[in-house]
Amino acid sequence: MYPFTYHRPDSLDEARARLAASEDGRPLAGGMSLMPTMRFRLASCADLVDLNAIEELAGIERRNGQIRIGAMTRHAAVAASPEVGEAIPALAALAASIGDVQVRNRGTIGGSICFADPAADYPAGVLGLGATVNTDRRAVAADDFFTGLYETALEDGELVTSVDFPIPERAGWAKLGNQASRFAVVAVMVSLAGGAARVAVTGARTHVFRAAEMEAALAANFAAEALDGIAMPSEGLNEDLHADRDYRAHLVGVMAKRAVRDALAR
Amino acid sequence: MSDRGHIPESRQREAPRADLKWIGRSMKRVEDPRLLVGKGIYTDDVNLPEMAHAAVLRSPHAHARIVSIDVSRAAALPGVLCVMTGADAAKVCDPLPTWASPPVLQPVIADDRVRHVGEAVAAVAAEDRYIAEDACELIEVEYEPLPPVVDPEEALTSTGDAVLHPERGDTNIALERTLSFGPVEEDFAAADLVIERRFRWPRSGGQPLETVGAVASFDEGAGRFTIQCNTSMYNYCGWMIASTLRVAPHKLNIVPTLAGGSFGSKMFVHKVPVLAAVLARAVGRPVKFMEDRIDNTTSCDNHASDRVYYAKLALKRDGTLLSLKTRIIDDYGAFLQFGVGQHGNALSQCVGPYRINSVEVDLAAVLTNKCQQGAYRGFGSEVANFVIERLVDAAADELGVDRIALRRQNFIRPDQFPYLIPTGNMYDSGNYQAVLDETLKLADLEHWRAQQTEARKAGRYIGIGVATCQERSVFSATEFWMWNLEQGVEWTSSPDGVSVKIDPTGKAFVTLHSPFWGNSPETVAAQVLAEQLTIDPADIEITYSDTDQGLNSTGPGGSRFTVMVTGAIVGAASQIREKMLRIAAHLMEADVRDLALEDGAVHVKGVPDMKMSIAELADKAHYYRLSMPDDLDLTSGLDATYVYDHPVTTLPDPDERHMGIFYPIMGHSCHIPVVEVDVETGQVHFLHYAAVHDCGTMVNPMTLEGHIRGGTVNGIGTALFEEFAYDEAGQLTTALWTDYLIPTIKEAPADIVVGHVETPSPFTEYGVKGGGEGGRMGGPPAIAAAIEDALKPLGVTIDSLPLPPSRLRALIRKAQGRAA
Repeated sequence: MYPFTYHRPDSLDEARARLAASEDGRPLAGGMSLMPTMRFRLASCADLVDLNAIEELAGIERRNGQIRIGAMTRHAAVAASPEVGEAIPALAALAASIGDVQVRNRGTIGGSICFADPAADYPAGVLGLGATVNTDRRAVAADDFFTGLYETALEDGELVTSVDFPIPERAGWAKLGNQASRFAVVAVMVSLAGGAARVAVTGARTHVFRAAEMEAALAANFAAEALDGIAMPSEGLNEDLHADRDYRAHLVGVMAKRAVRDALAR
Repeated sequence: MSDRGHIPESRQREAPRADLKWIGRSMKRVEDPRLLVGKGIYTDDVNLPEMAHAAVLRSPHAHARIVSIDVSRAAALPGVLCVMTGADAAKVCDPLPTWASPPVLQPVIADDRVRHVGEAVAAVAAEDRYIAEDACELIEVEYEPLPPVVDPEEALTSTGDAVLHPERGDTNIALERTLSFGPVEEDFAAADLVIERRFRWPRSGGQPLETVGAVASFDEGAGRFTIQCNTSMYNYCGWMIASTLRVAPHKLNIVPTLAGGSFGSKMFVHKVPVLAAVLARAVGRPVKFMEDRIDNTTSCDNHASDRVYYAKLALKRDGTLLSLKTRIIDDYGAFLQFGVGQHGNALSQCVGPYRINSVEVDLAAVLTNKCQQGAYRGFGSEVANFVIERLVDAAADELGVDRIALRRQNFIRPDQFPYLIPTGNMYDSGNYQAVLDETLKLADLEHWRAQQTEARKAGRYIGIGVATCQERSVFSATEFWMWNLEQGVEWTSSPDGVSVKIDPTGKAFVTLHSPFWGNSPETVAAQVLAEQLTIDPADIEITYSDTDQGLNSTGPGGSRFTVMVTGAIVGAASQIREKMLRIAAHLMEADVRDLALEDGAVHVKGVPDMKMSIAELADKAHYYRLSMPDDLDLTSGLDATYVYDHPVTTLPDPDERHMGIFYPIMGHSCHIPVVEVDVETGQVHFLHYAAVHDCGTMVNPMTLEGHIRGGTVNGIGTALFEEFAYDEAGQLTTALWTDYLIPTIKEAPADIVVGHVETPSPFTEYGVKGGGEGGRMGGPPAIAAAIEDALKPLGVTIDSLPLPPSRLRALIRKAQGRAA
């Protein structure tokens, strides 16, 4: 780790001011990705602005037919939330599948989607449920939020404040996780709302994506068998020690079907 | 049988008995309270005044010449005390100790070339670790890459620039030779059937939470080093470190610190203490060096067997096993710390629990651009278990007979012990039928066979594996050198000693001369001494000696410590008992033959009121010399030391017809896992797991079960996940635990049902056998068999490990492709 100055503001305004005042500032949410990266000296910054004392950024509420989750809400809170469990149980299941107990008690939804790890779970939840990401400046549709490898639509200094999830008719979650990190080798969130299906895949490419052919098939018939014969091309998929492209492509199909079965079982 | 050597008389003093009070009791660990409240002193807890901190710059290349190193910017950084290159280190120390003959020279910091990713290229001592790491980043090294040697079979033919140690000749073969025991050719000629398989056992290693560390200081006045370190074997061969440091052996004191786990690594730590010591001498201040995780995974002593086997098993059509031939290529990495001791080890039980008449082993130990091998739970024997068990499974399948029945047919029978196997090693005792029967009972085989049948109808794949494995314990020193072509270190002793003192108030103090290695040495010592002296374990205090105080002691490793410390305590306690009886006889005016030690007091047999407690006797022994007989040999005080030699070992035959007895205290286990394979993902789930071990007389069933369960999960790691994987360029792609996958509670079975059979050793005190490694020795072949059984409808064969989901899925896909 290289030296940095640590700040712990207790309001969003102060955090924004700190970041604006710094030439090289970074916000710190749960720190589950940023801190190890800094520890390995792969990342560094002059000012680290810790958002953990900002109470207004955390919390879960159901309103206007949506579930709003504050950016600094821990995974454990989402997993245990009665509101989420009742309205979108697949999202609670997603949160419960992240990392381990320690990670779930520290990591936050805002941190996860801003870091935009190609294997993170929440991006699939946000995209697969058609959520809206609220920032201190604007609201961004999930379809526009994730733009590349560790890249999002956020501008310099822009902070996510909450995520709004519409409540679907059905949603399901399936994941094959790396057993050490529980990051997705491949994970899929499917949902059905107003006759439209969403299939969001994480872990397989530079960033989360929707599987259009599967969505069309599921819109017509929301059943696992509807996905029979739809092959995910392996070209362009991630390849690493734990999964080559062919295996990943195969897993997309398997996890999509399991997510549909999960949705139908909830 | 004369070709297999001779069996010496037993030297057992304490036969196993039914009325033992402390031995056999699941007593809570003596070590736990201070460790659980955070008061154990590990190496990193040692902080000395003026202590500096070290960091190491490591090679990013697998194989390269070091053209130049510029340390000027690093040396100029404020807070830096010393920057040391390989050339600097070579001026003040010799190559690291090795058991290889001829030696493979291993510098503490790379000399003119680097031979693996992670090898030390320079070391820095600074005011703190941050500064030391900053300084490492400022060191400029120019490398000229050399061809990386990564594939062990390609290493067989390396020449020229691809040769790691040109001074040993134009080859990367460190040792190649064939050892043959018994009438191999005749047996193969008589065979009806020969099973031939190629196996690949992956490089994996012990992963203790605590890395290796040392705090070294150098007293310029006395010319003397003190090194606190989490190493073992320091009282066996710690002087070798002094030789490396170019001081006389008495100018080095190695002080053991607790090991935060070892799993066999940290057996004889050499790089880290030498590095800390040369830096301490250079800067004139104590220096701490704690490996970080990458230091440990890329360059420690925990990498283990990395073998290719071409194996042949000869048998008769009626199922009689005849002979075993193996060609082994073992990838030792860049250096040979323990010679090819891992293959000496494997010879101890390479025929498994079976009557096999002859054995041939053709070994090529190759050098490649990977981290050196060291010691890891099993030390090479676990690989031999995998090979013989897979061959027996294959033979049963080929013959169309039940895998369990073929095992039973070939088991060495209980009446055949002690039994010499073709390599000359002795199996002291055993009852393999009983272990198998007990496991079958715990595994509820019929239930699971029925489940399997039902599941198959539903398109699910459940499998049951059975492995019946040897669990050798108590190595003798010969295993390290029997393979050597030339004379080298040819030791034949591997003892362990203890010192026992009863203080004037009757409390007992035990000094162990080997370290806490993550196991339960204090608990064992307390239980055995309590048994011997009829005292309460709570009245016993246990400490560890340093090399200044140390007795000849080999240390744990090879599942030897429980047996050895038990033997040593029996020896020391008998001296103390004899002295107490002598004093009591004098003071009570009784004949010593009429006295007995019971319940913490010496009684006159048949006269309950005539007794003296140990405290009374200790008081007399310490303070009332004038009440004692005036014999020169009756000194005051009540203490004893005893060095217990290996209970039963013999020399290798000079003509190499056999290797002597070198690993004779033979435990046995049977593992029966039930798995379900998710054929869509390649994931393996454990539905049930039964493991029965026979470790002779159990000293502490609870700690033994901990070893079995932990070792079994360790074996699951080896079977399914763990691998130090190097890519074609020689980069270690699994240097971090995000990629080197260790099983967690989610991958482990919900329970491992453990059972015991006790077949006491006729050669050790109380009949105890070692049991530290058996879980990892039995797990992998059993799990491989279970997966194969699950996938039998698809025709998948398992001959290489590990089997993470991606690889198992690839095998399934291939099989499904064949079927389609």
